Amino acid sequence: MKRETDYGHPIKSVYTPKDIENLDYEKDLGDPGVYPYTRGYHPEGYRSRMWTQRMTAGLGSSRDTNKVLKQYREMGQRGGMLVICDRTNALPIDSDHPIGRKEVGVLGWPGASLLEFEELMDGIPLTGQSVTLLGSSAMSSIRLGYLVALAEKRGVNLNEVHGSITEYPFCNTFGQTDAQPLDLNLKLWLDCSEYIIRNKIHMRSGILSQHFQESGGNNAQALAVEMAMLKELCSLLVNERGLDFDDVAVYPYELVSVGSRFFEEIAKIRALRRMWAKMAKEKFRAKKDKSCHLLIAVHTSGRSMTYQQPLNNIARCAIQTVAGAIAGCTAIDNACLDNAYAEPSPLAARMSLNTQHIVADETGVTDVVDPLAGSYFVENLTNKVEEEAYKIWNKIEDLGGIIAAIRKGYIQDMLRESAQKRQREVEKGDRLIVGVNDLVIPPEEDFQIPIQKLEAGDSEKIARRMEEWKKTRDMPLLEETMAQLYSDAKKEDRYNLMPSIIEAVKAYATAGEMMGVIRKARGLSYDPLETIDCPFAFE
Amino acid sequence: MEKRDRIKVLISVIGLDGHTTGSEVVSRMLMDAGMEVVYLGIYQTPEMIIQAVIQEDVDVIGISSHASNYTQIEELMGLLKKNNLDDISVICGGTVPKQQIQELKNIGVSEIFTPQSTSESIINYIVSNVKREKGPSIN
Repeated sequence: MKRETDYGHPIKSVYTPKDIENLDYEKDLGDPGVYPYTRGYHPEGYRSRMWTQRMTAGLGSSRDTNKVLKQYREMGQRGGMLVICDRTNALPIDSDHPIGRKEVGVLGWPGASLLEFEELMDGIPLTGQSVTLLGSSAMSSIRLGYLVALAEKRGVNLNEVHGSITEYPFCNTFGQTDAQPLDLNLKLWLDCSEYIIRNKIHMRSGILSQHFQESGGNNAQALAVEMAMLKELCSLLVNERGLDFDDVAVYPYELVSVGSRFFEEIAKIRALRRMWAKMAKEKFRAKKDKSCHLLIAVHTSGRSMTYQQPLNNIARCAIQTVAGAIAGCTAIDNACLDNAYAEPSPLAARMSLNTQHIVADETGVTDVVDPLAGSYFVENLTNKVEEEAYKIWNKIEDLGGIIAAIRKGYIQDMLRESAQKRQREVEKGDRLIVGVNDLVIPPEEDFQIPIQKLEAGDSEKIARRMEEWKKTRDMPLLEETMAQLYSDAKKEDRYNLMPSIIEAVKAYATAGEMMGVIRKARGLSYDPLETIDCPFAFE
Repeated sequence: MEKRDRIKVLISVIGLDGHTTGSEVVSRMLMDAGMEVVYLGIYQTPEMIIQAVIQEDVDVIGISSHASNYTQIEELMGLLKKNNLDDISVICGGTVPKQQIQELKNIGVSEIFTPQSTSESIINYIVSNVKREKGPSIN
């Protein structure tokens, strides 16, 4: 068994004051709420603001997801709702697409139109809780459109809505592939972000290390990639879109994956806070204290949820939730015990939320901020992971930054190697996973958990509904907005498409239609799967 | 009847699933074991996979699977039969719920490799179960 951090640093059996000899409290840690914020952003920690407890939802039609959201509220999902898109919406293509229709509503919310957003939010307030919609990067601009349109319809002041609907341009780069080209994702992200920041809308953009790490990256790499992404995206908003860094700084949020190596995960998050604060102050010359804060949410590792003996995952999730809580974060969404099987069953969802409640209400973790500060081991780990992260980050910068590194395949190679390494470590028994390569029991002896079954007919129903509904729209108005969007999308990248996207959304254009028209304007195929043609005629 | 010296495996993700890590790790694993791998990647419909199977004349088909891919795999199995290609072993790998394992086997999938299956088990299975003898040219 390896006694090393996940990035390969040897761990000693005992840590002493010598291991933190050079630690300067004022310079390296600071009190909670004081630069460099290693210990957290709030002097009173969870006493002043509890972390948002939430669960990912999204299965079947908008109406089905709406029901699940209401169920979660009853189960005690406090403070925020989180909905993930389905595979069709990830491209995006519409529910009635010949290939898409087979998988609509599978593993997420189809979200292809304002109508669906209205159904999703039926009876659910836009304010008073954080509203988070997860999905692909290109769809961010359209999700923003939904929000703006619905807020207007309900007479809700958009500045009172908070949460996140924007995803970073590289979200499908790590261990996945994006249907849209990087330059389009980047342009739309900048448009969407600029609109949000200029209009002082309190919706943040996910700029996540979670995808990278869940696809096999280690802690040092995850920090390096995260910081490199933050640096480049913030720089673009400042330099290319002319925004003020202090306005930009409150826009990103990070979702950190938290695995079972308890102390290392806590160290990772502490190091992240310090690294962001330093970059904000030194590189971006932040004028406000708030600009040195990075909003950090925790996602307990779905990847660590084993297929074998799934009940063990309750223990894993609990350990990870405690680590996230101790590290200090703004929200936790934990993975479920049946993550390796299907969408969370009601039992699994309740179990995960209960885990958060137990940690919050029974352990005393919320009484003290950064309780492990000063620990010889934890401070040493924090320093070490930061040091290793800087090495990798510097390499990325040498290549020209994260976008250049991605174009060169450097990040993908790094990730692939790390994933292979992990596989080998498990196969050789260097890393033990109970039930998998340690204390394995025959499958027949395993406890059978209830699995959320997927109804075969659902997808086709959703597809047919969309087909029929499309014909009922105000076609002249729709065509007008599509023509405008097409014309605007032909202009230079700097031209913000949000106004024309919002008008199209209000005319009930679908995601496939809007993205298709934008693609066509840029010389790409209307349909990323090259199966259907553009239904609109322009000039 | 000649036998091919290297086992040729087609690896593909099916449908709109975009997660490639598993299929990439397995492809690497098989190549390291001396097999020839045709890696199709993502957004492959059952029809596209069949096309590739015919063109590449593979011995084994490996499909990256999730709980939600059942109907797609069912379609694939149907197309293989229709094209007289059902002598080619189809194996699935991924987060397949236990309940679905027998269902998949019932429609002709030879074996399912669930999370954390070892390289050894996958390689050994393929080596022992490649039944296909290379016959006279089809095209």
